[in-house]
Amino acid sequence: MSKEVIIEVKEVSKRFGSTVALNRVNIVIRRGEIHGLIGENGSGKSTVTSIIAGMQDADNGEMFYKGEAWKPENMIYALDKGIGMIVQESGTVPGISVAENIFLGESEQFRRAGIVSRRQMVKEAQKALDSIGAGHISAAMPTGALDFQNRKLVEIARVMRKNPEVLVVDETTTALSQMGRDIIYGICKKMKEENKAVIFISHDLDEIMNECDALTVLRDGKIIVTFNKDEFDENKIKTSMIGRELEGDYYRSDYDDTYGKEVVLEVKNAQYQDKLKDFNLKLHKGEILGVGGLSHCGMHTLGKILFGATKPESGEVLVEGRSIKNEADAMKHGIGYVSKDRDYESLCLNASIEDNISAGGLDKFAAKGFFIAPGSEKKYVEKQINDLSIKCQDRKQYVSALSGGNKQKVVFGKWIGRGSEILVLDCPTRGVDIGVKQAMYQLMFKMKQEGKSIVIISEEMAELIGMADRILIMKDGKSTGEFMRSDRPKESDIIHCMI
Amino acid sequence: MKTNAKKSIMNLAPVFGLIVLVAAFLIVGHMKGINISYGLKSVINQSVVVAVVATGAVFIYTLGSFDISLGASVAVSAILGGMVYIKTGNLLLMFATCIGVAVLVALTNSVLASIFNLPVFVTTIAMLSVLNAMVLLLIGINGTGSEISVPSDAVAHLDNIPFKVAVLALYILACVFIFNFTPIGRKEKFLGGNPLCAQLTGISIKKYSIIAFIISGIGVGLGAFLSIVYAPTLTRSTASSVGMDVIIAIVFGGMPVSGGARSKIYAALIGAFSMTFLSQIMTLFNLNSGIGQIVKAAIFILVVFIAASNHRQKELPR
Repeated sequence: MSKEVIIEVKEVSKRFGSTVALNRVNIVIRRGEIHGLIGENGSGKSTVTSIIAGMQDADNGEMFYKGEAWKPENMIYALDKGIGMIVQESGTVPGISVAENIFLGESEQFRRAGIVSRRQMVKEAQKALDSIGAGHISAAMPTGALDFQNRKLVEIARVMRKNPEVLVVDETTTALSQMGRDIIYGICKKMKEENKAVIFISHDLDEIMNECDALTVLRDGKIIVTFNKDEFDENKIKTSMIGRELEGDYYRSDYDDTYGKEVVLEVKNAQYQDKLKDFNLKLHKGEILGVGGLSHCGMHTLGKILFGATKPESGEVLVEGRSIKNEADAMKHGIGYVSKDRDYESLCLNASIEDNISAGGLDKFAAKGFFIAPGSEKKYVEKQINDLSIKCQDRKQYVSALSGGNKQKVVFGKWIGRGSEILVLDCPTRGVDIGVKQAMYQLMFKMKQEGKSIVIISEEMAELIGMADRILIMKDGKSTGEFMRSDRPKESDIIHCMI
Repeated sequence: MKTNAKKSIMNLAPVFGLIVLVAAFLIVGHMKGINISYGLKSVINQSVVVAVVATGAVFIYTLGSFDISLGASVAVSAILGGMVYIKTGNLLLMFATCIGVAVLVALTNSVLASIFNLPVFVTTIAMLSVLNAMVLLLIGINGTGSEISVPSDAVAHLDNIPFKVAVLALYILACVFIFNFTPIGRKEKFLGGNPLCAQLTGISIKKYSIIAFIISGIGVGLGAFLSIVYAPTLTRSTASSVGMDVIIAIVFGGMPVSGGARSKIYAALIGAFSMTFLSQIMTLFNLNSGIGQIVKAAIFILVVFIAASNHRQKELPR
C-alpha cells in the first residue's frame, strides 16, 4: 500500500472572535488511508476539515494537496479539484428537487438551446444515487419531502458523483441507520482500495476504531496525538480526548429496574400511516424506557406522537388520563421533547442561548405569565448554563457558534429548566462527544432518581442497554420485543427483534 | 470583546445613519437659508404616520412575514373613519372606526392565511387589491366623486406636534413593552427565527401570527387617524406611499428582512425619520420626487446587502 502523502496541513490556526478554534494544527493524510479525527465537541475537528474542503479560510498556516500549495476558494472549487465533504448537519437545499441538489451550481451542462433539460438532469442524478446504493430515492422528488437520512444520502451522491480523491465524512454516520452507515463504510473502503483517502470524523469510538487506519485526537484546537491502527486502545484514546480519565460511571452501573406503578404517559391503539400500527405503550413514574429499532421502524414518529406534535389517525395519547391535543398541551402536562433533528427542530440557531433556553420556560419565570423581568430571565438561563456546564462566552452568544454537544445541552436546558416531569428524547446523544454523553447519562439517571420519567429513542443499542429500565423494540410500526434491565439483555437478543 | 464591540457598532449603525442625516439636514438647511424649525416640524408631520404604521408592522416582519397591504389599509380605515365623522360628528367614533377597520383588515389577512394554510403575505397581496378597489368605491359613492372631506376645524385642535408625538410615543412604548418584556414578543421573535422549532416548543404559529397582525392593525388605525388629522380631505392618493415607505423604513432602520431574534422595534422609528430627513435633503437640493424614489430604492438594496453580508459572517461553522 502506498504511503504517499495526499494532504498536509501545516501550522494552521483559526479564531472565531475570542475563541481559538485551531491552534497551529499539523496533520498528514496519506493515500490508501481512512484517517479518523476524534475529539470533544468544539475541539476543532470540523473546523480543520472545513478549511481543507474550502468552506472557510485559515487565519494562518499553509496546506498542501498532492504536493502543491492548497488554498481552495470554496467548496465547489475543492470538489472540482478532488476534495469533497459530507457535513454534519443537512447540506442540501430543501426547496428544490433531489436532482437539482445533486447538480447544484452545475445545471448549465444540461442546457440545450437555452433550456435546461430537467429530464436529462433527473436521469443523471438517478444514476448517481444508484451508484452509491441509494436507488430507493427518486431523483425527481422534492428534497424537502425526504427524511434526514435520505437527505444525507443525496448529499453523499452529490459528492461521490465528482469521484473525489479525498472524502471528508464529518460526523455523519450517527444520524444514519445501519443501511446508511453501510453505504458510507462501503464508499470509504472502496476509496481506500483505489488508493484515495478518507478523513472520518465520528464520536462513536467503536466505529472509528473499526473503520480507520489511523486516528488523530484533537483537544481545544490542538493536535494531541496520532495513533496508528496497531496502537488503538480505547482507554488511551478516551483519556487523550478529554485530557483526564473519565470519572464515575459512563452508563448506569446498577441493574435495578424498579420504578413507580403510576402510569404517567400512555399510548392507546395509536395508528399513523405505516409508522405506527395499533401501537400501545405505558411509561411509568421514575422509569427510563428505551425504544429501539431500525431507523424506519416508526420510533421517531412515536416520539412526535408522545409530544402531541403528530396526531395519530386513530387511538390516543393520554397524560393524567387526558388526551394530549398539541405540543403546548403536552408542555402544560410537564412533557418535554428533544428532536433527533437538532438544528432544524430543537434550536433556533440565529438566536442566543438565552432566547433558546427561555423560550421553553416563559410561563415559568414571567411574572403572572405576563411580565418578563430581565433579572428573572437572566437567573433562569444562567442556572441552566451552570448546571449543564454549557461552554460559551456568555448567555447572549448565538447558538450557531456552539459545538454540537453544547447545542444539545442548550436543548436539554430548555426542557429541564421548565421542570419537565416527562422527557421524550429522540437520539439525545447524536453528534455528542463522550464527555458530554457521560454527563447526559448521569443527568438522566439523576432525573429518574428524582421520580421523573424518560423515553429514550435510540439507534444505539449500547445506550439503550446502558440506560433503560425497560427496552421496547419496534419493527414496522409494531412492538416486537420487550426487555427488562434486570434480565441483562444482550445486543444479539435485541437485534433479533429488530430485523 | 472585539466581536461584541463590532456587533454593537453594527447594531447602532442605523442610529449613526440618522444622526448623520439630521446633521446634514441642519447644515444644508442653514446653507440654503431655510427656516429650520419649520423644516423639523415638517419632518415630524411626514414621519409620524409612517413611523406609527411601521412600528406595528415590526411584529409582522419579526415573523419573517410581510404585509404589502398596509398603505391601502391606512387609506380605507381613514376614509371609513372620515365617513363616520361626517355622519355623526363624533371624533371618538371616528377614532374607534379607524382602529376597528384596520384591526378587522389585519384579522382578515391572518385568519384567511390560517384557514387556507397560506403564507400570510399571499393574503395581503389579495387584500391590497380589495382595499384599493374599496378606496375608489367609497370615494365614488360617499364623496364628491374625487374626495371625502372631514371639516378641517373638527381636527384642527389635534393637528399639532405635541399631540402627534404623544400618540407615536405611547404606541411605541406599548410595542416595546410587548416586544421585549412579555412572552408575546419573545414568542414572536422565536417563531421568526425557526417556526418548526417554535412549534415544537409549544408556540402556536397561527395564534402568534394573528396577534402580530392585530398589533400591527392598531398601528395602521392610529396611522389612519393621524392621516385625517394632518390632511382632512381624503382622496384616492391618501396614504398612497405609506405602504412602500413602511417597508423601506423598517429595513433602513436595521430590521433584518428574515425576522427572528435580531428584530427590534426602534428600527421603525429610526427608519421612518431617516427616510424623511433624506427626502428633505433631496428637496433642498431641488431633486424631484422621481429621483428621490430612485435614491430610496438604491439605499434599500444597499442596506439589505450590507445586512445580509453581516448576517452571513455570523453564521460560522464550528
